Amino acid sequence: MTEPLVKVDSVSTHYPLGRSVFGKPTVLKAVDQVSLRIARGSFFGLVGESGSGKTTLGRAILRAAPITGGSVRYDDGEVNYDIGTLDKTALRDYRKRAQLIFQDPYAALSPRMTVRDIIAEPLEVMGLTSGREETDQRVREIAAKCRLNLEHLRRFPHAFSGGQRQRISIARALVCSPKFVVADEAVAALDVSIQADILNLLKSLQRDLDLTFLFISHDLSVVAHVCDHVAVMYHGRIMEQAPTRQLFENPQHDYTKSLLSAIPSLDPDEPLRAQVYTPSA
Amino acid sequence: MTGSLISVRDLTVCFHTDEGLVTSVDGISFDIAPGEVLGLVGESGSGKSVTAKSLMQLNADNAVYGEGSSISFTPGNETIDVLALRRPQDMKVIRGGAISMIFQEPMASFAPAITIGDQMVEQLLLHTDMTKRQARKLSIEMLDRVGIKDPDKRVDQYAFELSGGMRQRAMIAMALSTKPKLLIADEPTTALDVTIQAQVIELMKDLVAEFGMGILFITHDLGVIAQTADRVSVMYLGRILESGPVRDVIRHPAHAYTQGLINALPKLDDLDAPLTPIPGDIPSPLERPNGCVFHPRNPKLKPGSRYETEVPPMTEVAPGHFAALFPEDVPARP
Amino acid sequence: MTAVADQKRKEAYFTASQSQLIWARFRKNRSAMIAGALLFVMVLLGLFAPFLSPYDPTIAGADKDYRNGAPQIPMFCDHNGCSWTPFLHGVKMELDMSTLRRNPVVDIETRRYVTLLPEGWEYRVGGLRVDLPGESFDFGWRGIAFTTHLFGIEEGGIHIFGTDSTGKDIFSRTLHAIYTSLAVGTIGVFIAFVLALIIGGISGYYGGWIDGFVQMITDAVRTIPVIPLFMALAAFIPDEWSSETRFFFISIILGLIGWPTLARRVRTHLLTERTQDYVLAAQLCGASSGHVIRRHLLPSFTSYIIVDLVISFPYMVLSETALSFIGLGLKDPVNSLGVMLQNVTKADVLLNYQWYFIPVIFFILLVLSFVFVGDGLRDAADPYSDRKS
Repeated sequence: MTEPLVKVDSVSTHYPLGRSVFGKPTVLKAVDQVSLRIARGSFFGLVGESGSGKTTLGRAILRAAPITGGSVRYDDGEVNYDIGTLDKTALRDYRKRAQLIFQDPYAALSPRMTVRDIIAEPLEVMGLTSGREETDQRVREIAAKCRLNLEHLRRFPHAFSGGQRQRISIARALVCSPKFVVADEAVAALDVSIQADILNLLKSLQRDLDLTFLFISHDLSVVAHVCDHVAVMYHGRIMEQAPTRQLFENPQHDYTKSLLSAIPSLDPDEPLRAQVYTPSA
Repeated sequence: MTGSLISVRDLTVCFHTDEGLVTSVDGISFDIAPGEVLGLVGESGSGKSVTAKSLMQLNADNAVYGEGSSISFTPGNETIDVLALRRPQDMKVIRGGAISMIFQEPMASFAPAITIGDQMVEQLLLHTDMTKRQARKLSIEMLDRVGIKDPDKRVDQYAFELSGGMRQRAMIAMALSTKPKLLIADEPTTALDVTIQAQVIELMKDLVAEFGMGILFITHDLGVIAQTADRVSVMYLGRILESGPVRDVIRHPAHAYTQGLINALPKLDDLDAPLTPIPGDIPSPLERPNGCVFHPRNPKLKPGSRYETEVPPMTEVAPGHFAALFPEDVPARP
Repeated sequence: MTAVADQKRKEAYFTASQSQLIWARFRKNRSAMIAGALLFVMVLLGLFAPFLSPYDPTIAGADKDYRNGAPQIPMFCDHNGCSWTPFLHGVKMELDMSTLRRNPVVDIETRRYVTLLPEGWEYRVGGLRVDLPGESFDFGWRGIAFTTHLFGIEEGGIHIFGTDSTGKDIFSRTLHAIYTSLAVGTIGVFIAFVLALIIGGISGYYGGWIDGFVQMITDAVRTIPVIPLFMALAAFIPDEWSSETRFFFISIILGLIGWPTLARRVRTHLLTERTQDYVLAAQLCGASSGHVIRRHLLPSFTSYIIVDLVISFPYMVLSETALSFIGLGLKDPVNSLGVMLQNVTKADVLLNYQWYFIPVIFFILLVLSFVFVGDGLRDAADPYSDRKS
């Protein structure tokens, strides 16, 4: 295994919840002492139920959520950053290298910009191209890779269905040629028949563009199919992490077992026997 | 079929919108017998929620029911023509009385400023001739029955004080307290985490066994259907494309859409199986294709096939298992 | 429809910008379109009031020979035959012996013909005059003088809406009143809007304790009871102030009172827009606050702001009217809809001179058309109103 691209070392994100008159201020431990190694070129899955802190962890790695303890290191061979302490210039550079794909394809696209302008925005904001022509060129390239029709670039988001919008969202995240992409529930809002299409697209983009993915999802079966390494999160902590096959065939932690047992099988003769997980104090 | 509880025939529902008349449900028929769970599977825009709301005439005012549509509901000895009901006092018999509904978002179905108990009691007073004391007693029993601990305390709490799973249980308790003959469950587990979803599925299965009512279970998740339903109907763009006993439909899907749905689903028992998406996008309800609504996305059809112009009939492919196919296309069983 | 035309229509929809979509939705709303046309006509009537009015609406233009006169409708035919040019009959003031009032009496044997584009009283276009209390602050430009009007009559007067007790032409007064009321509204809305944008903008963009503090002040302003405030102000306005000064004063007061509602809406828009995923996406590209405001917040705003402005306009007009009606705002020599309304409160008017009510119709139409256009715009501007889940 090569050097990890992202090293997360006992990272915490605590939010103050106001304070009582006496005594200590109460905090919400959204992420609590989490450590991960995301290898270069891997498709890393982060699974958890609602409120497990998976989204906050993903955003903390991108520095879109505060890191209140521990460290996140990013090392792609060209640069080596300690994310928590980046200065303004380094942060701008990091933004080129690490991007986010959103869950809700409706909220993630500004209804007032054409698809071309949406995809071009990162290039323009970061000043990555020398002029409009080069911008257009790069927008067309990435749009083609995300299987968007080039005629569609003139359109506004209201012309598109959920799956197409998600492809636009992916194109926007990838237009600045990042090395690392956090996909936060990128298929959760899509219909089953569309979901498989987007998953396959993400997989092929990962191979073609040599990307590393942090794939955040609540859906174990989706994670099982696309990820090569999985971490299971519960109440802000990592319960278990292992290569996908190992985790699904031989889960170690009781919480993982209960999650796996709760997935309804497609076979009516294989009844659901959900194990209830009660965390030991 | 002997004594079906509800019988829907050629139900067509259109909506008047700015863009014109939009067909949401197009000539669907199904029956539910007492004690039977019918699963209705469909993706967004398939019209499954509109179908459910039609059973209680809960659709918005701009809904138009088609000419030949009929919904006959037989809770006891008498049969009610649901679509002919006009007066509020007649509606009361079905809404919240003989038919109950549970929703995807439990928070939305509890009034935020009324305690759960008061809401349950109010509903019971409206639909039964119980006294307030009896109604409260029954409410506590029902909360206990759906597995809520300390029901005599919970009954005086507000919906926001309960966790998501608890709320869903409380909603089921409320829906069942009037002893409905038919329960409509509209995506009851979609907003829940898998572990809680599993508990709710178990609970619903137990309750069917105990109360013996018919259930219309609406979801987009084939796995949930496989675990709960006796029979399943697969909807797409307002039509039922396949229906039959749940085992037969899932093991031997006859329609390309059902096959596509199953192939697109990531399965845990075979991690290497490729995910095969259904090509194309779900068309908007404004642009429903002619003929078979699924034909533009069906990879098996050759250009110029009759599915592009003719609506295929529901053909029996196995006992009790129907699919929207022309008879010559019925796949042979191994 | 052919497949090609259908495809073109669809492509036009797909490539339609937000404002084009709003306009397309607005056009489908028939009542809003009618109201919009009516509003447009009203604004034109107000803007071209001096040209359209045959008489000076002040006492200088009063017709002393036709006081409390009924509306005179030009006609083409009478018992003496027809003519191509519309005409009026002659009028004389005579003493009515039973009531001992001098009333105008029509002489049906004489004819006076209507003329187009006659020379009449002088009015100025583009004039600007600032008349602050204190001579030294006054400055201005007299503008270009015109004397041509749309229509007139050979001799005597033409009063299509009748005249009031001093002989002033009610038609001319109504047109000028529309202008005044719209002007007060515009100035009031403008002041309220600028304040709202700054205060609501600060509140919404920074959030936190600044937001809390600003909201507290906003609430405090909202609790000021309006009527007593105006009564105090009315007492404060010195009698020697000219009608123009009074007019500006009233507009400014209306603006200062009207901002909190607008400010709150600006803040709400900002707060919801700021937390949208696409704003976060821009921030994750390293976009500065300036870029986010320019590229995302302001554009998402303009449609809402225009709607808010149109909706708050009739309230300004209403406030001005209400103030003038109870005698606290503009006073009689000035022509505003409120002043015109005040004139109809006498029982005498109700019984004998019902044409005083004509300006009331214009007032109702003006406010209604604003309300309908505002509602139509609001429905059209909400991009998610017709999105089905």
